[in-house]
Amino acid sequence: MSTFDPAREADRLRIGPSRPPRTARVDAEISVPPRFPVLLAIAFGCAILQSTVLSGVEFRGAHVSLLTVLVVWTGLRCGVVTGGWLGLFAGVFADALGGGGVNVLGLTLAGFGAGLLANRFFWDSLPVFIAAVALATIVHTLIAWMILALAFAERGAFITTTHTMAWAVLLNCAVAALSLAIVRTYGVARTGRS
Amino acid sequence: MVAIPSFWDERKLLVFLALIIVASVAMLFEINAARRGGQSLADEIVGTVVTPIARAINGIGQAIGSEAYVVTHAGVITAENARLAQKARDLASANERLKARGDENTELRRMLGVRLASPAKTIEADVVGYSPEAARKEIAINRGTRDGVQRNDVVVNGEGLVGHVIDAGAHLSHVLLVMDPTSAVPAFLLRTHTWGIVFGSGPHARMKYIGQDVKVLEGDKVVTGLGEIYPAGIPIGAVLEVDRKDNALYQVAVLQPAIDVASLAHVLVLTSK
Repeated sequence: MSTFDPAREADRLRIGPSRPPRTARVDAEISVPPRFPVLLAIAFGCAILQSTVLSGVEFRGAHVSLLTVLVVWTGLRCGVVTGGWLGLFAGVFADALGGGGVNVLGLTLAGFGAGLLANRFFWDSLPVFIAAVALATIVHTLIAWMILALAFAERGAFITTTHTMAWAVLLNCAVAALSLAIVRTYGVARTGRS
Repeated sequence: MVAIPSFWDERKLLVFLALIIVASVAMLFEINAARRGGQSLADEIVGTVVTPIARAINGIGQAIGSEAYVVTHAGVITAENARLAQKARDLASANERLKARGDENTELRRMLGVRLASPAKTIEADVVGYSPEAARKEIAINRGTRDGVQRNDVVVNGEGLVGHVIDAGAHLSHVLLVMDPTSAVPAFLLRTHTWGIVFGSGPHARMKYIGQDVKVLEGDKVVTGLGEIYPAGIPIGAVLEVDRKDNALYQVAVLQPAIDVASLAHVLVLTSK
């Protein structure tokens, strides 16, 4: 004997009240990237900090570049457009405070290059972020030296100060790791998820 | 068939080209201004906004640093205070003797008809910032063309040569430090009376073109030699070590600069006019 009950099936197919909402919360993102004006203000603050307090923090001739770390993070988090434009403005700030035009191109390329990685890697991946910061520091420094050589006819500075670039890479990577840890902790505290 | 998006799609290429063009234009404006010894519009705007903020931050940093130093070095400061008090007494008596000699000297010069060389006009300035990126070692000072500062003016402090002005805005100027790799200063080894050129090299400086026959010793004092922009006799630093190779034409002396960049707060600009 068949157990098929046409009345029950008809009830099941009938349009009724919608399903109850899911109880489990689903977040698409841990955190929302800051708006561009906020990023711009942070970049300006970083430039001032580097120009004042952090200028005394030196390790074997190398200085920390918060601007490079911020620009790379923005590129990885927000993509090529935001990363590139923030890099450009960060470079303008850095050159205005002292540099004579050697920073703007390097930081722009650093932001754009980090943005190219945004579709392929998670922005909060520590190895990717550190590798991107290391590469950005090298690219920025090489471009700065290239412009110094071409525009100011300064030859040989690269040879005598290459070692500072290696220490700058190390310092920036350490700051990048610390910054990412802070951002992750902040995201966890904000959403309440571990 | 689903088209796989290219790594370099049209939008990215457009963004890349736009960024490169704008960044290059900004760079060329900066370089052009730097070559003229002036400042671009962006420099003027950012400098005007940043100078008061940077001065405030520097002031707070120095106040905290000095208080912390007093707390941690109380014993050393007491001993140094006693030593300096004794030195001040010695200098006061020496000063009296020199005054008497100076008066005598002036009188003798007057009698001989020799005109005293007028010293260069000096302008006091505060350091309001450093170059944020390490590509160039520069400082920013709170004096500009309206105060009489011009490009190539020499900047010193109580310890020795700081550098020279590379661009001067209305109220803010940038000074290239003597330890910047792009800096070159005609120099003179005091003990051996030997000429050379001092180039920056990160935290130190290097005096090049010293003949192989010159015996350079650790601790030898190096001062500026008279050059296109530098007056003679300003201390640059002391020899830290000597790099001498048998197969080289010249020997190189590594110098410890006379100034301590980290503690630069006030400087003097020696104007060329």
